[in-house]
Amino acid sequence: MTTTTTSGAVAAPPQAARARTGGVSAATQRAPYLFIAPFYVLYVLFMIVPVGAAIYLSLTSWVGLGTPTFVGLDNYSGLLTDSSFWTAAGNSGIYVAFSLLVIVPCSLLIAQALNTKGLRARDLFRVTFFVPMVVSPIVVALIFSMMLDREYGLVNSMLYSLFGVPGIDWLSDPEWAKVSVSFVLLWRWVGYLTIFFLAGLQAVPRELYEAAELDGAGAVRKFTTVTLPSIKPVTAFVVVTSFISAAQLFDEPYLLTKGGPGEATLSVAMFIYRAAFERQQFGYAAAAGVFLFVIVFAVSQLLNRALQIGRAS
Amino acid sequence: MSATTVTTPSAGAPAAPRGRTTKAPSRLTPSRAALYCLLVVLLAIFVLPMLFAVSGSFKPRADIFGEPLRLIPSTATLENYRSLLSSQPFWSWFGMSVGVATVATVVSVFVCALAGFAFAKYRFRGKQLLFTIMFSSLSVPFAVILVPLFVLLVKTGLGSPYFALIIPWVAPAFGIFMMQQYIVQSIPDEILEAARIDGCTEFGIFLRVVLPLLRPSLGALGVWSFLQSYNSFLWPLVIVSDVTNYTLPLGLNILYASENRAFDLVLPGAVLASVPMLIVFLVLRKQLLEGLSAGAVKG
Repeated sequence: MTTTTTSGAVAAPPQAARARTGGVSAATQRAPYLFIAPFYVLYVLFMIVPVGAAIYLSLTSWVGLGTPTFVGLDNYSGLLTDSSFWTAAGNSGIYVAFSLLVIVPCSLLIAQALNTKGLRARDLFRVTFFVPMVVSPIVVALIFSMMLDREYGLVNSMLYSLFGVPGIDWLSDPEWAKVSVSFVLLWRWVGYLTIFFLAGLQAVPRELYEAAELDGAGAVRKFTTVTLPSIKPVTAFVVVTSFISAAQLFDEPYLLTKGGPGEATLSVAMFIYRAAFERQQFGYAAAAGVFLFVIVFAVSQLLNRALQIGRAS
Repeated sequence: MSATTVTTPSAGAPAAPRGRTTKAPSRLTPSRAALYCLLVVLLAIFVLPMLFAVSGSFKPRADIFGEPLRLIPSTATLENYRSLLSSQPFWSWFGMSVGVATVATVVSVFVCALAGFAFAKYRFRGKQLLFTIMFSSLSVPFAVILVPLFVLLVKTGLGSPYFALIIPWVAPAFGIFMMQQYIVQSIPDEILEAARIDGCTEFGIFLRVVLPLLRPSLGALGVWSFLQSYNSFLWPLVIVSDVTNYTLPLGLNILYASENRAFDLVLPGAVLASVPMLIVFLVLRKQLLEGLSAGAVKG
């Protein structure tokens, strides 16, 4: 309605409009700051303040009651000699490596398969692969603890009736438990990441492939010289997102194996949770949190810079 | 018609149908057949676990582990659903989860759209810096602020679950980024300029011009925010201490952890918790999948 009455004004020479933005009213100049204000208020209150509080707490010893006592860097030196912490850090490293080296390439391959010219039911595949992301982690954990049950689970029953393989301790053998948690991660994440790669692949201009074909490039060469460079922004986004999510993994190991057996699947986030809410070592937990923060923040800023994402324009 | 001509090949006739088959885009070559096989196997890996959970929810307790390979229960019963709903406050968990997720979604969509609009359509001092700060919040793991946020909310008396459960989900930088990308791509400057000449205030432009045009991507962001809140586990686990305020994931977790392998109660709960989300997802799947990926393609 409003647009039709002013369509004449819109048609006015663009220089006029540009000149006007030079002398915009004070209200227009203030507007963007007011618009981003709600975000930054929440950001400061629930992100900056807690990060600051984490750094403060990490320098204290506190059981949750009374006043925290300042202990300097004791919590950090305690972490360095805490074997549980190093186990947790190692496991989180495994989850990160698995995400970047297995889940991300798998989703790129699936996206590549779904991008095949004239593929039928592409949408059915795309949507179905995404479904695990819609389902709650607790539900995913319940499904897999049922299926991976040692004596009565579907997987072992199937292995036995097909190959006569005796039951595998999927969730209570230290090595298999890591495999199971990783597989559940793969199952939950791969379809989600595929969406991004597929959108990226669909945006690659066909002419680039045709030009490469004229130059006599085969499938592999086309993939490395045309596809990979063209989807760099998407790859960057997927790599950074996967890295951050895997580094702070909590739900899957907590729900599937309780971090066990022993500490075989314990992650850093679980270590923090246990220290704070099972042993009331708030300062110690905060120190582990700051450690995680420094690593994740530094690595993802490096990745952002290397892959050039996160620019306003 | 063409099929009959193929079965009786004469000298000149079959040229036409053969030409047509080579042009058809979905001709089944061996490599294409292998591709379909692979995709169908993957489909089974994604779907079967969920189908077995659904099937298990209808099996009598003894059969859940007694006949794990049977997809269609030999005796199907609604008894599991009945005993879950009569013995557990399932609807209270559900109400809590939906209520919290709804408020978080509405606030979050509004905050993100507003900030995304500012970043997409205004030039202002400090924009690049503010954007970088906003974007960098994506790389602050939640596990880092878990402990201090808990301490701060409890100490300031804001630990009420209604407030505390909503707060971490209302300002996701990802949502702002998504909105900004969408607004840059789909809202022309001329419309805003026209509204301005009409005497619209800047906030009026946002409410009456931008928001209606954003509807598809608001749907995407809305579904996404809702899922994030509805599925969240760690934060509710920490902040909710009173059983009467449990959300669905907490309720299912306690049910699974306290009763030894009570899959006959847990599976119907899992099904009831997931079905509404799956329906919403299937209805809005196009917007969600395209909305999610739109921002990342351009980077």
